[in-house]
Amino acid sequence: MRRELLARLRADRAAKRPAVVATELAGGEVRLLHPFEAGEPGGAALLQAARRAAERDRSEVAEVEGREWFLRVFNPPVRVVIVGAVHVAQALGPMCRLCGFDVQVVDPRRSFATAERFPGQQLSTEWPDEALARLAPDRRTAVVTMTHDPKIDDPGLLAALRSPAFYVGALGSKKTQAARRERLRRQGLADADLDRIHGPVGLPLGAVSPGEIAVSILAQLVGRLRRPEGAPGP
Amino acid sequence: MSGDDIYHEELVRLAREAAGAGRLPPPASTAERDNPLCGDRVAFDVRLEAGRIAALAHRVRGCLVCQASASFLSRAAAGAGEAELRAARAQVAALLAAGAPAPEGRWRGAALFAPVGAVRSRHGCVLLPFDTLAEAVAGWRG
Repeated sequence: MRRELLARLRADRAAKRPAVVATELAGGEVRLLHPFEAGEPGGAALLQAARRAAERDRSEVAEVEGREWFLRVFNPPVRVVIVGAVHVAQALGPMCRLCGFDVQVVDPRRSFATAERFPGQQLSTEWPDEALARLAPDRRTAVVTMTHDPKIDDPGLLAALRSPAFYVGALGSKKTQAARRERLRRQGLADADLDRIHGPVGLPLGAVSPGEIAVSILAQLVGRLRRPEGAPGP
Repeated sequence: MSGDDIYHEELVRLAREAAGAGRLPPPASTAERDNPLCGDRVAFDVRLEAGRIAALAHRVRGCLVCQASASFLSRAAAGAGEAELRAARAQVAALLAAGAPAPEGRWRGAALFAPVGAVRSRHGCVLLPFDTLAEAVAGWRG
């Protein structure tokens, strides 16, 4: 990979700008593409193949107009927004970071959202709708609510469901979920939106501790990310 | 803990009315406070004339009790000075903590918060708007 291209790729990664490095297998030509941006040079067919690889988050070989290219995908990190600076979040945050995800913990209760409880964790004491308006969740963002306080969880879920977030989860028992569904429906959400909520959140492992609950949530989230059609669990 | 009794009709109506919600154009003194335990957040803008509240507006994110208290203050505090506001705050705190009688005059409507006295963790929700308004008043440089 030429030095100049590497420098540009580094800048893209710092700016969290999705990029694909396309290498033509026969001749060795290398191009740096930005598959989600208009006005990119490189030919429509190659760009379309790059976009598909980026959307699937999978580097691959593709044949484009009779030539074979290796498409190496460099996507910005998956983002996880956790609403609720609670015990489960204290486990889930570091676990998500170990997966290479970019994690934000949001809780307007300053006594919960402290650096002592969350060392090295990005924290916000905004209300969830404010934080999500700023963070602008996209297709590579997951949002999980867990304060158990509808006053705080509901605005988070509303904002998440109005975004293209790939995973929206809500901690809470089946009974809580039913009441929540009704409240959110009264706020104007349709069944199709409400069905996006994973609730009770997490794979049914019979988890008993904050750490185990975090495992069940993370497993379900990763399943949704990597196997959106055939993810295990509810 | 009679959690449901505090949400009686008058309190809920007052909260939903949100009297005084919004912003004041300058000149105004602004204060913002929150409750670290429950996340309630209140901001008050205030303008004084001759040491008395001439205009106020608030922004509240929080529970119904906090919203009701801000709404109540928007009407009750009009025309009050700083000392009177602080005295009213002390009387409301005593009403909540010890069942003392509600303040008199323009503040007598605070009696509607009496049921919140039974739930100690919610006293702060009633008092947060008072403290925020008092801070805004103290910060007025007109």
